[in-house]
Amino acid sequence: MAEPTAGTTDVQELSYEAAREELVEVVRRLEAGGTTLEESLALWERGELLATACQRWLDGARERLDAALEGDQEQDD
Amino acid sequence: MALETSPAAPAPVRQIANAIAGWVDRLGAVWVEGQVTQVTRRTGMATVFMTLRDAVADISVTVTCARSLYDSLDAPLVEGASIVVHAKPSYYPTRGTISLQAREIRMVGLGELLARLERRRQLLAAEGLFERSLKRPLPFLPTRVGLVTAPGSAAERDVLENARRRWPAVRFEVAYAAMQGTRSCAEVMEAIARLDRHPEVDVIVVARGGGSVEDLLPFSDEALVRAVAATRTPVVSAIGHEPDQPLLDLVADVRASTPTDAAKLVVPDVTDELRGVAAARDRLRAAVAGRVDREQAGLDALRSRPALADPRSLVHARVEEVAGLRARARRSLGHRLDRAADDIGHQRARARALSPLATLQRGYAVLQDTDGHVLTSVAGVAAGATVSVRVADGRVHATTTGVDADPLETDGGHDG
Repeated sequence: MAEPTAGTTDVQELSYEAAREELVEVVRRLEAGGTTLEESLALWERGELLATACQRWLDGARERLDAALEGDQEQDD
Repeated sequence: MALETSPAAPAPVRQIANAIAGWVDRLGAVWVEGQVTQVTRRTGMATVFMTLRDAVADISVTVTCARSLYDSLDAPLVEGASIVVHAKPSYYPTRGTISLQAREIRMVGLGELLARLERRRQLLAAEGLFERSLKRPLPFLPTRVGLVTAPGSAAERDVLENARRRWPAVRFEVAYAAMQGTRSCAEVMEAIARLDRHPEVDVIVVARGGGSVEDLLPFSDEALVRAVAATRTPVVSAIGHEPDQPLLDLVADVRASTPTDAAKLVVPDVTDELRGVAAARDRLRAAVAGRVDREQAGLDALRSRPALADPRSLVHARVEEVAGLRARARRSLGHRLDRAADDIGHQRARARALSPLATLQRGYAVLQDTDGHVLTSVAGVAAGATVSVRVADGRVHATTTGVDADPLETDGGHDG
């Protein structure tokens, strides 16, 4: 089962969709098992990085949305 | 038959009058359409005099008809009535006047009027003036609304008030025109033309309250219809009430059933528009918020999976595995050691059984030279040789003082 080890591209460059997709793949492989201990740890660390990146994307989106909403509140007041 | 005259040989008046009469007669009897503007019928006179005016142009002609003919009309001729006359133009030399001698007068009754309108509609339709493709869309928000209506009329008030209520910032350019009677058609056309030229006006409304078919007749006039067809600015026709359909309705770009309806068509309702914009903004936000929430839920689900949320579970599984393996290793090792121990014990027993130790313990000793060889015979052993003696519990080092040979035995016996 010569699967490539965890993705190597820097997490920051990944788009949200790419990061999310890789995260789903990491979880799938971890749950499928059959990876060496070394690989599982590497996969897990990669998973953490990807999850944080996705979270940052979502927080950014929410901030921009809230900013637009606040922008309105000020106008309405 | 051109008449040769010259200053030298002028023609007498009577000759000219007769010539004119001759030319006039050549026109022959014609059917003429017009509007009766004046009727003079004096008792005792055999002929009735009428003035017949053109529907559009400011041109009239006198019509004479026999009193009997005049009285035989089913509906009395009233001023303003439209009639169709079969008459022969004739010139009266004595007074030098021309008048049409009516032989037959037909009332342009309602049925006939509508029939004529229908024929005119078909004629204009055939020319393609009412083609749907010619209809221009109204501007969503006009810079200035042109309005052709009667001064101080209900129609004017309806259009202005309703439009202003819907869009307070609307600006009007009102061109007044008679909306009734003989003058109306020409004035309306002139008003439309003026508004059409006005740079800011980008829609023209022609508004008039309800009226009878005759009242609305000017708005089915061919000249007016052609004029409207030729305008560059879109025209909204708001004549009469819902059922009324003058030809103007067909040629206009948009037909409004009433002046109030026209106001609704030319300006959007500001409150509707604002509500629309607000609604669009809300939907926009809801869509994005919904998307972010869905993605967040997806991410949370992923992160809560044991593989990520609790990495110890990974290592833990391994630890258990290792512990299990270790335990099994130990167990199997233990067994093996036990077996080995038994084996060793067994071997030792056998070794012991074979080993001379017991013999030594029974008092025997083994004599070895310096090289460790066992001396089984005195031969070769000299006095003073260093030897070592193995006894049960150790070894004695000695040097020989002398050797006694036993008498030779015959069988060469040996012991192990």
